Amino acid sequence: MPGEPLGVIEEFIPDSGAYTKDGIIYSKIIGCALIDFKNKRVSVFPIGHVAKVPKVGSIIIGQVSAVQPQMATVRIFKIGKKALSGFFSGLLHVSDAQSRFVESMFNICKPSDIIRAEIISEKNRIYHLSTKGKNLGVVYAFCSNCGYLLEQRYRDLQCPRCGKIEKRKIAIDYGKGMI
Amino acid sequence: MSQKTETLIDKNGLRIDGRRPDELRPIKVEVGVLSNADGSAYIEQGKNKILAAVYGPKELHPKHLALPDRMVLRCRYHMAPFSVQERKSPAPSRREIELSKVVREALEPAIFMEYYPRTAIDVFIEVLQADGGTRCASITVASLALADAGIPMRDLVAACSAGKVDDTIVLDLMDTEDKVGSADLPVAYMPNLGVVTLLQMDGILTLEEFEKAVNLAIDGCKRIYAMQKEALRAKYVSIKESEE
Repeated sequence: MPGEPLGVIEEFIPDSGAYTKDGIIYSKIIGCALIDFKNKRVSVFPIGHVAKVPKVGSIIIGQVSAVQPQMATVRIFKIGKKALSGFFSGLLHVSDAQSRFVESMFNICKPSDIIRAEIISEKNRIYHLSTKGKNLGVVYAFCSNCGYLLEQRYRDLQCPRCGKIEKRKIAIDYGKGMI
Repeated sequence: MSQKTETLIDKNGLRIDGRRPDELRPIKVEVGVLSNADGSAYIEQGKNKILAAVYGPKELHPKHLALPDRMVLRCRYHMAPFSVQERKSPAPSRREIELSKVVREALEPAIFMEYYPRTAIDVFIEVLQADGGTRCASITVASLALADAGIPMRDLVAACSAGKVDDTIVLDLMDTEDKVGSADLPVAYMPNLGVVTLLQMDGILTLEEFEKAVNLAIDGCKRIYAMQKEALRAKYVSIKESEE
């Protein structure tokens, strides 16, 4: 329970989920208190809902909301496995899109695509994303011609309805992964 | 009002609903009642029925409102049109806007605001049925909803009112006592830290009466805190068991 005393600082070092005030260690979330007698640490392991914001290194899922030649903006709606009630916005720059040189962002993603990306910077709460890596990139894409869900044809994507072939930076599990 | 002539405390020292002066109304608390919100709670305190939902932390729009060093807590206290005897307009009234601010400021000291800078947390408090002391019950239930949403908090906030009715200091005023009685004193309190986060008063109390009322209200807060803890435990023990 938040605010429940767990001990004093002479006994333990407060770890995650705990804080100190006037020498007493309190819990700050709902969870199980874990006391490590060996390292003299006390932490609270959360049960149930955990408040989450994007952190450097976390894998996110988002929808591309706008694409410019150098940059794409992404609405982040999922962090790790947890769906957010609101959304955070992130930026994907061409230089972070693929390990090799890419000329234009339009060959990486298009508006309304669902992408999986990693957070590489959170300075001033501006989330910079990267899709370098096999498991990162577009997981679902829609035809820019007719809006139908694209299917993978070798390294490109093809629309099963109008036959248009499009280029994306696709993740290894394109079309198969659960969002 | 016609009730002015009635006595609020009978010759046995009992109040109009049969409570002793230092007795709370029967309270029923439940946590995690809404599936779409990040955190939620529901309280029934006598005839009060209040629902609270918490969303966040999330990105704040418009972005110029975001604070660079801490998050923004947004509260919306709202009374349903059917919550009082005469239909209340659903538009936010002056009183509701003020109470939103009061509730927000009572909750802010309990939350680690600096953990999620440039973000916002929304707290929606919906009064389904009102019978006096809704601001206190709102604070009680909103702090539970915040804890349910997993937001790091210094302590839970419990709130309770005390007041003066027929020259007696009583705990947890109901609507008629609030209107006819001579003073009302809502207190919000963090029981583990011993910090008062809200103290308001309307009416007139002498210094001794004031001190007595504050102590009585804090005592009520402690009793409400025990119920808050029990409600949280009831939900999270069942979650823990289902995980195992």
